[in-house]
Amino acid sequence: MAATVVTRGKVSGLENKDFERLAIPLLDGLYNFARWLCSDPDEARDLVQETFLKSLKGFSSFREGTNFKAWMFRILRNTFLTSRTGLERRNTQQEDEEGFEESSVSQETPEIALIRRADTELVQAAIAQLAPAFQEVILLADLEEMKYQEIAEALAIPMGTVMSRLARARKQVREHIVLTLGGKRTVGVK
Amino acid sequence: MTNCEWREKIGLYVDGELEPRDEQAVAGHLPSCTDCASAVLEQQALKKAVRVAGKRFTAPPDLYASVQKQMQPKKTTGLWLKVSALAASAALLAAIAFAWIARPSTSNATVSQLIDQHVIMLASVNPVDVVSSDKHTVKPWFQGKLPFTFNPPELATGSPFALVGGKLVYSQHAPGAELVYQVRQHKISVFIFQARDVHGEPSAGNQTFVVNGWQQGGLQYYIVTDASREDADRLRTLLEDANRS
Repeated sequence: MAATVVTRGKVSGLENKDFERLAIPLLDGLYNFARWLCSDPDEARDLVQETFLKSLKGFSSFREGTNFKAWMFRILRNTFLTSRTGLERRNTQQEDEEGFEESSVSQETPEIALIRRADTELVQAAIAQLAPAFQEVILLADLEEMKYQEIAEALAIPMGTVMSRLARARKQVREHIVLTLGGKRTVGVK
Repeated sequence: MTNCEWREKIGLYVDGELEPRDEQAVAGHLPSCTDCASAVLEQQALKKAVRVAGKRFTAPPDLYASVQKQMQPKKTTGLWLKVSALAASAALLAAIAFAWIARPSTSNATVSQLIDQHVIMLASVNPVDVVSSDKHTVKPWFQGKLPFTFNPPELATGSPFALVGGKLVYSQHAPGAELVYQVRQHKISVFIFQARDVHGEPSAGNQTFVVNGWQQGGLQYYIVTDASREDADRLRTLLEDANRS
């Protein structure tokens, strides 16, 4: 008789176990990201739970070699975008992207000192005032330390868009900090 | 605004997105360009500030629990499970009936336990811990889990019996092996424990379950099945032959 070797786990959840091993360490980051997107803790919580459910269901179709973290963040973001809050935000995002003008960053060294002086609360306020499209890019890049390619995968946008949004997001954060701490002095755009 | 050719690469440099060659070039350029060096410092300061401030929320502990709970394999309500549940219910009723009928003829608590174990196996979503039709997979699986060893029989091609797998069981605080065989539409549990004084050679049967027990080589074997007595005897012979020293 031909031997069929399948462990119990394979039959009833080896995939689930693999998923759990990969996904649980991301939970905190996903929740944090969800909170930034949703603001409301309950909504963020639901979003994370739904993300885990969806990704677990879709895990069998997850292709080896794909970045798992980017995949999970992408599911979370897609889930968010199809939620009511997400749909509202999406309109805002489009408006905010219009009229984007690339501008150079100031090289004034006193601003570096101001950024270093900025307390967590101020930087959080600076991130919070960003349009969602910029907020998510800067969080994925600087907090989650994802590469541009991973961010592009997670957000389903071209890498060039990642770079331009990131530059814009950083510029706005920087301006918020410098304006708050440095008074009404003009910053950044020369 | 500087006209430095590297200025536009500073963001990529700080984010570690440059090709190694460009990265080296920027690094080599920085000591001689104040503007670019300032821009790097600023970007680094900004990144650090965002990294610290961005980690604003922590997942509540109960969210971990909820998520982990929802990741557990669900007791699905598929057709197979419904059928299994129905079969298990029938088997459970039969087992209760058997226990009641068999009580006057055999009061062996071990046999009752093993029948229960067999019924649990029938009803279980995961009837065995190691699923394999190959005895060379099942036997090693028990190594280190049991203080004894045994030989599952080699099943010839065309044998009506098929090994389904095995699992670890306990009876009277002693670990044992449960081998599960399939014969036609019936499951057969073979329980193997270290022989004890209290274990005799119970052999019981009624319209539902056949229990066939014997001792061999210091081990106590039990066959519990709803297949026929002949099937149980045949499998017993195979097991006895396989474990004859």
